[in-house]
Amino acid sequence: MNRRVLLIGVLVTVPLIGVLAMSFGRDPHEIRTPMIGRTAPSFTLRDVATNKEVSLESFRGRPVVVNFWATWCAPCLEEHATLVSTARSLGSAVQFIGVVYEDTPDETREFLARNGHSYPSLLDEDGQTAIAYGVYGVPETFFVNSAGSVAAKYTGPLTFDLITQNIQMASK
Amino acid sequence: MTGPAAFLLVLLSAAAAADERRPVAAPNATDVVGAPNGPPLSGDALDATTKEVASLLRCPVCQGSSVWDSPATMAVNMKHKVRELLADGYDQGQILRYFENSYGEFVLLAPSKKGIGLLVWVLPVVLLIAGGFIVWRVVCQAPAVAGESRILDVEIAPTELPGREMLPADPALAKYVLAVRDLAYGRPQANSPTAARASEVH
Repeated sequence: MNRRVLLIGVLVTVPLIGVLAMSFGRDPHEIRTPMIGRTAPSFTLRDVATNKEVSLESFRGRPVVVNFWATWCAPCLEEHATLVSTARSLGSAVQFIGVVYEDTPDETREFLARNGHSYPSLLDEDGQTAIAYGVYGVPETFFVNSAGSVAAKYTGPLTFDLITQNIQMASK
Repeated sequence: MTGPAAFLLVLLSAAAAADERRPVAAPNATDVVGAPNGPPLSGDALDATTKEVASLLRCPVCQGSSVWDSPATMAVNMKHKVRELLADGYDQGQILRYFENSYGEFVLLAPSKKGIGLLVWVLPVVLLIAGGFIVWRVVCQAPAVAGESRILDVEIAPTELPGREMLPADPALAKYVLAVRDLAYGRPQANSPTAARASEVH
């Protein structure tokens, strides 16, 4: 009887430990996205600064960094200067696009005037672009390769190293 | 500036403000789930189906709330998207697929009945059957256990039982018996009041 109880115990606990072990090596803060390898959802939105239409399609042929951000988001402020300077240093080799999430044009313009900008920031008024990309919160950044597919996604504030590593992945 | 001119200026600036907020072209659902399968909905049918479909979607920024129940801006935007897709003629399956495409299966409140999601549906039933089987086995074995206990029910003459005043031969056990007596009766050497009364009578 004891042997049977032991066997049942082993049969119940081993698969349970197996299921838990599958997640041991995973960063609990990492949000998986099914978008990797898929064609990045196309969009045409207005640049908050110039009011001109900007389309993702128009940058096909070079890597694009699509950064979802908002003025009310502290980590977005933290990464903003790095994004602006990296975009400046990389020039036309890589296109940076900011997609402004749950925010207003006035707040965005004021933020950009105060903190500088070197690439278009587009207003996603109803959050439809964020939904199409499966955005949970800000900042979230998608690295789109020259063929228009999502090569990588990063959740949280970016550093120069993270930006260049992900751009390298998008450039392969 | 004259009144009509000022009014016109206000109208124009309001239109310009609305224009700069409007997305020129949001991502297209047809690229993801193909052309709409159903008829475009409107009126009460649109309201009811929006509620039905939004209740099946998990709000990504909430703790277990559906898109329909959550007041979060993200959930409100998703609700609008569901309504817009229904008004365009997309059916429930297409809309769920549209959201699953960008957020993964996590966005569905009820997991799909395929792959690992099937376990969620099947495992409770399997466990229920296994539990029922175990209970049945225990109940069926109960008479056998009762049979075993009948062996113990053989009458033993009172003289063969150790007296209440006796202590076990093992000193370690005896120590515990004394401790229990102390707890129960207040003194280590005391017997139960019933036993004491019985000994007084004899």
